[in-house]
Amino acid sequence: MILLSYCRINDKCVVKDGKIIISDLPITHSLSHIYRYLQLDYPKFFKMDNLSKLGFLGAELLLNAHFQDIENRQQKRNISIVCCNRAASLDNDRRYQETIKTSEFFPSPAVFVYTLPNIVTGEIAIRHKIMGETSFFVLPKFSAATIWELSQSAFDDSEIDYVLSGWINFEFGKSDLFLTLLQRSQNPNTNVNETILDQLYTKYQ
Amino acid sequence: MDENLIFNLKKEVIEALNLEDYKPEDIDTDAALFGTGLGLDSIDALELIVLLERNYGIKIKTQEESKAIFQSIRTMAEYIQQHRSK
Repeated sequence: MILLSYCRINDKCVVKDGKIIISDLPITHSLSHIYRYLQLDYPKFFKMDNLSKLGFLGAELLLNAHFQDIENRQQKRNISIVCCNRAASLDNDRRYQETIKTSEFFPSPAVFVYTLPNIVTGEIAIRHKIMGETSFFVLPKFSAATIWELSQSAFDDSEIDYVLSGWINFEFGKSDLFLTLLQRSQNPNTNVNETILDQLYTKYQ
Repeated sequence: MDENLIFNLKKEVIEALNLEDYKPEDIDTDAALFGTGLGLDSIDALELIVLLERNYGIKIKTQEESKAIFQSIRTMAEYIQQHRSK
């Protein structure tokens, strides 16, 4: 599989394919700050939890550049999404817990719907009309080897030509995203390996 | 119609639905809340039901009732004025 593109978002910067898009993010920056900087137009963004916002921004950076039919929103059956993280949806789970901790509580439906980590892959699929399989795994820590292996197995489906895969973690107010767009390849010389993925992740800590 | 109620209701709707780019004056009092207009969805409808109960002590019992109430900010405000217990 070929690495077509990658992006990294953390609390310091936004990087795409080695090019720093935003640096010196203010300490109290929100994901909405990045959304506005990228001049995106998707009002539903503001209703998402932080994990989905983070994944949404990463997917925008990678997919909009590679699939020019974004305006037509053609359904894409040949893309799969495989993502992992450490904290699952804990950031939003805590937020939801806050809404139900008193005896006279009013749970928020809009917060509740994000109390699963795989919602982020669904949000990306809805936005980009991706009809391939989506999956989300919770790991003890970032593992380039696991992400590589899961991405490789996504290509076992012969209909899949591209895999959007990587790490989307939001924990204690901190963003940590590393997303890749991979393409099926028959040429082993062009294949990306787990070492490269690990180097790209650790380069922007 | 109580203009203060309408203004406050718009602020509450903006906050409850995370309509970050909106100010109260951006929302047309008579515009449809669902479909066109603000383009709200089913989860937003649940949030509005919670908002009425939490802020005004109003419990909506049937779907038909909610359809009539949530047509616009004005229909919401009218219902609140007649049925509020808070």
